[in-house]
Amino acid sequence: MLVITCPYCQEAREEEEFSYAGEAYIARPAVPEEVDDATWGDYVFHRKNPRGWHWEQWQHVAGCRKVFAVKRHTVSYEIAGSWTLADGKALYLEEQA
Amino acid sequence: MPKQGFQPFMESPLHHFKLDAEAQPRRTDGRIWCNELPHLGYAVLRGDTAEAGFAQLVEQVTGLALPLKAGAVSQGPQGVLMWTSPDEWLLVSHRQRLADWTAQLDAGFAEHKLFAQTVDSSGGLTLAWLGGTEHLTVLRHLGVYDFESIPLGHMVSTVLGKATVQVIRLDTDGVFVVFRRSFADYVWRLLRRAAQPYGFAVCQLEARSDHPLFAQLAAPRPSLILA
Repeated sequence: MLVITCPYCQEAREEEEFSYAGEAYIARPAVPEEVDDATWGDYVFHRKNPRGWHWEQWQHVAGCRKVFAVKRHTVSYEIAGSWTLADGKALYLEEQA
Repeated sequence: MPKQGFQPFMESPLHHFKLDAEAQPRRTDGRIWCNELPHLGYAVLRGDTAEAGFAQLVEQVTGLALPLKAGAVSQGPQGVLMWTSPDEWLLVSHRQRLADWTAQLDAGFAEHKLFAQTVDSSGGLTLAWLGGTEHLTVLRHLGVYDFESIPLGHMVSTVLGKATVQVIRLDTDGVFVVFRRSFADYVWRLLRRAAQPYGFAVCQLEARSDHPLFAQLAAPRPSLILA
């Protein structure tokens, strides 16, 4: 059972209150009409599925119903932190750079 | 086709349990005392606290300060206003007052060009009071949240069994549990079953003018036939 801190409720809550909402920060092609099928297919279907740290979205469905970003380790299930999508994006981009 | 046509009428989601017939005056014993506060008015209020005039308008109309901290509840003899999300609040009062408030708030939002709205969910929600010395133990059997840690005058939105509920804790005597109409039967049976080992009784709830929620019981019951 994961214990996730909701950045809006500012409390650590049990996983049971949350719903998984997929990988975070998937960049949509800026001009969809101009990309080829392979790029569009990657955007729609392909996910990173890493062994290690993973940025993902969780929704606090039983609480404030907000979606936020969580950085979780897919092997140890350790959670490095949780942020609002806006706050997390800055950290995510910094890490990717 | 019958001449009368469609005649909608209002009934509590727990009407088939016939709680009124079962209710008895509350005594001071170790039992869990519980009952529904039927036919109250509920409205979801949405808006942006950063917008100038929003919080002031809400306070001016309802007389309740807009709670800005997570889980905070504003209370007064006229009802409660509770934080459910950074941009969402739940307003509870008796039906007539709530209808007046939502009309005034909507007019105010339009007049001040505020990006905010009210949604009347009176038909979709209900509220039960759960009291007695072991009332938090009963909740602990059903949910994952640490219910003892809710500060007085706060609420928490969590799950009991599979149903999402809001637990409002105003004093140490008992808690109010807000749940959806569609889950009412489930939540009621769940509370009743969990309370059984401690002794369960349905109590008569009296209108208390000094209490934010029990005071609403003093209002005349809304007409059961809807116009």
